[in-house]
Amino acid sequence: MSRSDVLVDADWVEAHEGDPGVVLVEVDEDTSAYDTGHIPGAIKIDWKKDLQDPVRRDFVDKAGFEALLSQRGISNDDTVILYGGNNNWFAAYAYWYFRLYGHHNVKLLDGGRKKWELDSRELVKDVPERPATHYVASEQDASLRAMRDEVVAAIGKRNLVDVRSPDEFAGRLLAPAHLPQEQAQRAGHIPTAKNVPWSKAANDDGTFKPDDDLLTLYRDEAGLDFGKDTIAYCRIGERSAHTWFVLHELLEQPNVKNYDGSWTEYGSLVGVPIELGDGQ
Amino acid sequence: MTGAPGNDGCGAPAGGAALPADAGHQAIVQGHVTRDGTAVQTGYARLLNDGGEFVAEVPLGADGGFRFFAAPGTWTVRVLAPGGVKSDQTVTAGYGQITAVEVSV
Repeated sequence: MSRSDVLVDADWVEAHEGDPGVVLVEVDEDTSAYDTGHIPGAIKIDWKKDLQDPVRRDFVDKAGFEALLSQRGISNDDTVILYGGNNNWFAAYAYWYFRLYGHHNVKLLDGGRKKWELDSRELVKDVPERPATHYVASEQDASLRAMRDEVVAAIGKRNLVDVRSPDEFAGRLLAPAHLPQEQAQRAGHIPTAKNVPWSKAANDDGTFKPDDDLLTLYRDEAGLDFGKDTIAYCRIGERSAHTWFVLHELLEQPNVKNYDGSWTEYGSLVGVPIELGDGQ
Repeated sequence: MTGAPGNDGCGAPAGGAALPADAGHQAIVQGHVTRDGTAVQTGYARLLNDGGEFVAEVPLGADGGFRFFAAPGTWTVRVLAPGGVKSDQTVTAGYGQITAVEVSV
């Protein structure tokens, strides 16, 4: 798999506007961003309303995902191009989520909404209408998603990558600094985890760094053992989906899981080990 | 996947999250970005720690505003805007304080 299999650039998106079989989807951390203007032809998926179970802390089930994509007019054969703000972090989450339910023809717009905006490309408010489809999803691919017991068992055995900021990793902050800091959970990180902030994989404009730089970052500087399986986590699993994309899709590491329970789950578990401080 | 109490995600709303009721216990860094006195609505503010590491980023609000909830210490606010604009300002934050940063690009 090469970069062109999983990434497109803005010129590609402009050249393929209106192509049948190509669906552009905005998935943003700020779910109102789409309404203020989006890339021509793009539809919206709301990471919270559309992708999360409204009651339990979990994803919508297979039937729910099928209903969502059918209603949005996405077919099994469509090429789905995802983009969003802030280095594509929610778009990367949606990418992982699409793969989890078996949609393989999915790519990210490199740089996402941020690069599009910084390049002063066109944004529109027109909402496209797409006829409904009959989307059929696969069962969740368990090889992509880590659950809590697996994470606890992985301590000291597999690569654990904590992709939060150094201050969250060390326990000085409990949430990303654009959010109010919480009081309810324990701070810190999973013992033996390496701290490689997700943002290090991206350039300032949100595009992914070259493969050589990424290899240096994860393998040489952080010391990940690429001979072992890897679990990435953050606070609620979205920034770590970005790192999952880097390790699994760009660097083609075969066994990488995203732990979407992440610190909001782990930091609330009774009896599990926690480390504080900056680590090695 | 609703996150922790009082918070419904990792998302960064344009302009930054609203001030919480317990703002007195937060170390807030906030401000606006203007160009010739007019709000810059398209752009991003990012927070870097004293080691220069990325900590958070928000899209600018309709009033050019941004807000971060930091910890006591020294931080850098970096503004990115169309036209290759990149502006850094270093600030000091403390609990119970609102550190104002007005950025003109």
